[in-house]
Amino acid sequence: MSRIVDVPAQFDEQGLDQLAQSIGVWPPADRLFFDARGVQWAAPYALIGLLTAAQAILEAGGEKPLLAVPAADDVRSYWGRIAFFQHAGDLFEFHGKLPKARGAQPADTLLEITPVRATEDVHQVVGRIQEGASRILAGELGLEAKATMGFAMALSEACQNIVEHAGTGGWVAVQAYNYRRRLGRRVAVIAVSDSGIGFRRSLEPTQAKRYGDRWRDGTALEAALIQGVSRFRDPGRGQGLAGIKRYLQRWQGKISVRSGTARIAIVPAWDDDVPLVEDLSFFPGAQLQVTIPAQDAGTT
Amino acid sequence: MIETIAVARMLREAVTTPYLNLVTRPTGVAVRGRIESVLATSEWETAMLDFSDVVLLDLSCADEVVAKLVRMAQERLGRLVALRGLDEHLWESIHAVLEHQQLAVAVLADGSITLLGCVPADVHHLFATLESATPLAAAALSQRLDWGDARTAEALDAALALGVCRRAMGGFVRVPLA
Repeated sequence: MSRIVDVPAQFDEQGLDQLAQSIGVWPPADRLFFDARGVQWAAPYALIGLLTAAQAILEAGGEKPLLAVPAADDVRSYWGRIAFFQHAGDLFEFHGKLPKARGAQPADTLLEITPVRATEDVHQVVGRIQEGASRILAGELGLEAKATMGFAMALSEACQNIVEHAGTGGWVAVQAYNYRRRLGRRVAVIAVSDSGIGFRRSLEPTQAKRYGDRWRDGTALEAALIQGVSRFRDPGRGQGLAGIKRYLQRWQGKISVRSGTARIAIVPAWDDDVPLVEDLSFFPGAQLQVTIPAQDAGTT
Repeated sequence: MIETIAVARMLREAVTTPYLNLVTRPTGVAVRGRIESVLATSEWETAMLDFSDVVLLDLSCADEVVAKLVRMAQERLGRLVALRGLDEHLWESIHAVLEHQQLAVAVLADGSITLLGCVPADVHHLFATLESATPLAAAALSQRLDWGDARTAEALDAALALGVCRRAMGGFVRVPLA
């Protein structure tokens, strides 16, 4: 027996929260039927989140979920061009018409959905985005040329979190798009997601005692993102997220990290997100999104 | 002697990728291992890590390659790690990891030597005043810097601890890099 889970029409960060709520108890007892027919817009963050949900279900021994593909041609075509269907083939049983061929990668996609499982993948990912990153960050977003290196560094550190901490594979995508809903400007976004053990379990052996009863997903995220805590005792550890934060501070960027039942964010002035949300519906692994906005004249 | 090591060449030997990006911690470990192998067969006093041609350096690799080698050299009295061939981005990554761990390193750039990392302002001034060939006594340094003896002594202690100056013939010299 399968249970229908609606994929929100606006499938972005909040859309993924809604999806988690619809999935409910984890791991789901029923076979899930993700209904994406009504999706009108999807962010890379949410698409790799959907892949993560299916991956986690299969890793938990669940039945391969079903996926009704978007009804709208342009949405379906975009999902194809960003390589969603290419990777979803092993994770979902499709219902509906798939795009015939993957087609050209969207012009503003720096990196289509790409699996990250090992160090070599991080090298490939970082190498591939460098040329395009310069074109989009400097050319379209008005950042100084030197911002490209920091962007690649942030991408590297974000992907390494999967390899080092997740205990399983994950996904990354990088894209520029018009973020009209909140910002009214173009943004470049790095989205990373894995179905691994999450921040709380990763940090638990070294940090849980310090926090006692307060130890939960939200405190684990605070420890990692705000205090730079690492599960390793090596003094050189725990600097990856700190480096990303420094980079984002310079370019008025935003980082948000969701893990388990909480999401934490460093919120720039242009956004009205809250710094910490707890008691969300559980979602497996960890999801990270870095957003770099186009710079107003004079802000750089 | 100064053992100069081309980091880009170590990177090419360590990983099979067309990119000269020094990224990921395992890559940093592999590159550091190759550098340590070179140093193990050398009578080095200064290891000059040449970062020319390295395009990108992430914080994990800055830690594995630079910070850990600086710490290793500190633990072997009289040894020094120095850097050259840094562009602005590499400079920032290395500064961040060294500052976080209270470490410092001498950098050769445009023919002059400067310090990078966790370096108190007085140590910067002291370092700029020291010479590499002629030892200067603490009293002479105080005079040149127009500092009291206690302040000079404190800055010298910090510079010695960071490994960026040495005692020589009753005085102090900054580490020679050329």
